[in-house]
Amino acid sequence: MTTTTTPRTTGHAHTAGSGVSFARVLRSEWIKLRSLRSTAWCFAVIVVLLIGFAALGAALSSAFVGTGSTPSQQQSIAVTIITFGSPFAQLVAAVLGALVITGEYGTGMVRSTFTAVPRRTAALVAKVVLVGTSTFVVSLVALAIALLVATPLLAGQDVDVDLGDGRLWASVVGAAAAIAFTAMIAFGLGAIIRNGAGGIAAAIGVVFVLPIIFGIAQGLIGKAWIYTLNEFTPPRASARLYDYPLDGTSMITMPAVDGAVVLEPWQALLVLIGWVVVLFAVALALVKRRDV
Amino acid sequence: MIEARSLTKRYGTKTALDDVSFTVRPGVVTGFLGPNGAGKSTTMRMIVGLDRPTSGSVTVNGRRYADHAAPLREVGVLLDAKAVHSGRSASDHLLAMAATHGIGKARVREVIALTGLEPVAKKRVGGFSLGMGQRLGIAAALLGDPATVILDEPVNGLDPEGVVWVRTLARHLASEGRTVFLSSHLMSEMAQTADHLIVLGRGRVLADAPVSTVIAQASGDGVRVRSPHLAQLSDLLRSRAEVVATTTDDGALDLRGVTAAQVGEAAAAQGIVLHELTPLVRSLEEAYMTLTQDSVEYHAGGTGHAGGTGHAGGAVHAGGASSAAGTASATTTGTTR
Repeated sequence: MTTTTTPRTTGHAHTAGSGVSFARVLRSEWIKLRSLRSTAWCFAVIVVLLIGFAALGAALSSAFVGTGSTPSQQQSIAVTIITFGSPFAQLVAAVLGALVITGEYGTGMVRSTFTAVPRRTAALVAKVVLVGTSTFVVSLVALAIALLVATPLLAGQDVDVDLGDGRLWASVVGAAAAIAFTAMIAFGLGAIIRNGAGGIAAAIGVVFVLPIIFGIAQGLIGKAWIYTLNEFTPPRASARLYDYPLDGTSMITMPAVDGAVVLEPWQALLVLIGWVVVLFAVALALVKRRDV
Repeated sequence: MIEARSLTKRYGTKTALDDVSFTVRPGVVTGFLGPNGAGKSTTMRMIVGLDRPTSGSVTVNGRRYADHAAPLREVGVLLDAKAVHSGRSASDHLLAMAATHGIGKARVREVIALTGLEPVAKKRVGGFSLGMGQRLGIAAALLGDPATVILDEPVNGLDPEGVVWVRTLARHLASEGRTVFLSSHLMSEMAQTADHLIVLGRGRVLADAPVSTVIAQASGDGVRVRSPHLAQLSDLLRSRAEVVATTTDDGALDLRGVTAAQVGEAAAAQGIVLHELTPLVRSLEEAYMTLTQDSVEYHAGGTGHAGGTGHAGGAVHAGGASSAAGTASATTTGTTR
């Protein structure tokens, strides 16, 4: 180990344009995201879950359909099977989204981050953008592979997938987006809560526990408004994003009662964007005020 | 140049910093000294905008830290050794930090070499020793080749070789005209590294002066005498108004406000035999204790001493030139004032 040699500290001259910019912060956060094993692990699990569940569903699809279903019914079945792993992938994405920020608080890294980017906003925006886009890309690729894996298996069960169907691809993209939105919602919760266990628990609560609570509430109360309220929760809005309903009947979600709102995919997209924006805004306001 | 003006930080009813003002100048090493809990780290975090002052302000080179376009090129800071994600390698950490300011890979390699991190650069930080963590923190602080360097307890956890290295580095950075501000709770460390001292105790500035002045102010040099005719000598010296005499536990007399020469001459004039005549120069630690004894946040309990006056500070005998009795007694002299 070199030690007591006379240190040479001067490396380069200050140059114009040598400061912080959003592009640079984005680059920095990208280095951070890909240099952690937890990122690779989460993405690997997402890929395995999405492809695995699709393959499993396709192999067992005779349980869903009899022969003689209409082409559009077959497309709906295909979407249901291909996006079968989506809720589980959302769970992992929630863990990743929360970890990206709580990991920095837990280790003290956040102090280095905010020393380099003292205004903090750019760092937080870069993080949420990167966690969202990388989760989207990974999920989309995995779902595309899942589609290719499932198609021949489904053909063996007399379900002929029409790859020229735009709605099918819209559902595939929607499912990838749902996973990415979940990661971004979890990021917001993580930034608000800061504690790793707390952030992950809150995110899992939203993804997994909320639907259970609403399921019970719907069973007990059964009024239209509770179904409507449920439509605006992140997990249900996520499901609506990749739903392939036939004549208003969804194969993914429970039938709603009369008078309850059912979100169209574009409405579900707006609801999810709303969740991300609101949580991120609260997180940003808190992060900018807090001592670290 | 760091300028703090009336920095105050309150956590609920507890005041961590109370109206702290100081200026840290370029070209010298300024030590930031104080007991644990005095508010040093809080102050340093405020300088780089991590903590907000309840009131007051602090600027670096005339601007708030966050208002600099390229903060890492203005100020390099080591806040604590592990402000790093434990799952990331040292080199990835530095690359990520550098990327925010468009600092290239070449500079990252330079600071890795400078801090002796090459063998572990690709290893994950979680497995680093405290010393390695400190080196990584210092590497990060130097990334932007900043004109101001702030190091919070930089020698913590370093081996003796590392301590010398930090000391050399700090002096070298100051010699290049940079502003160097480093904190420690160890007076001896500061005495060897710093030119100027800012002493903090319980959130207040207790001293802000060159190292030698701080020591001189706090010490008030004295003389220790032993004599079979101590009472006679004591009466003789007490007649001088400015002399303060204290009897030590083992029967010596500690005198302040009088030199060894004066005591010797007075004794000779009266024919009093002296067994010991020792000029007392208090150690840096004692000077520091004197400054901070009322402001120590956490006194060690169970020592049986009354709070504040019971610090074990061995009296250091300067030169030993006139130790008549030849016994370099190292009795504990609580700094009684």
